[in-house]
Amino acid sequence: MNVELFYTEGCSRCAAAREGLKAAALEAVPDTTWREIDAIKELDYAVELGVLTLPAVAINGALVFSSLPTPAQLARELQQRLDLERPDGD
Amino acid sequence: MLTIGKIAADVGISTNALRFYEREGLIHPVSKSDSGYRLYDDAAAVRLHFIRHAQHCGFTLLEIRELLALREQDSACCSDVRRLVVEKKLQLEAKIKAMKAMSKALDILIADCPDAGWPANECPILGAFDQVNGGQKP
Repeated sequence: MNVELFYTEGCSRCAAAREGLKAAALEAVPDTTWREIDAIKELDYAVELGVLTLPAVAINGALVFSSLPTPAQLARELQQRLDLERPDGD
Repeated sequence: MLTIGKIAADVGISTNALRFYEREGLIHPVSKSDSGYRLYDDAAAVRLHFIRHAQHCGFTLLEIRELLALREQDSACCSDVRRLVVEKKLQLEAKIKAMKAMSKALDILIADCPDAGWPANECPILGAFDQVNGGQKP
């Protein structure tokens, strides 16, 4: 699973939430690839994904949370996706 | 003290625009003259310049109100303002991207029209708009 957190430099909300979200993602899906993206440095990519507000979270190259999720919300989303990816659907 | 006409002229806006800002709660007269005219101070002029500059950068009045509130909020810092500006840039870039796509779609329609002097009801451009898939090639 590929998780990308879009943030802007100096955003206190982003900084406070980053570690908690990352920990929740890795706990839910241990092989998660976690990337933090400064929206200004990768503006074209942010626009391509439809990021309009910050912070925002994309999963596997698609915008999923346009505002900051709680760690539990992110973990639940990742878990659901993981369940769907399993061939037997379990 | 400045009358509505004087402050509007100084800032380069119409008195109607100023009254609109007032109705939107962005600006208030500090007092009224004996004859009932609104009077504004220098701080109001500074605030009006702020509103105009922010509008030129694409901010809506609602967003400008948020920016003004941040300035008066002790707990707010520059990074809060920066975040709003970065978000505005993202929104503008998204609009530019959408408009470029529209322009490209128009290029295709223009190229598809041979300019043959056909009647309008046979125009391929109007025909393309009739198509269920919006005239886009699958």
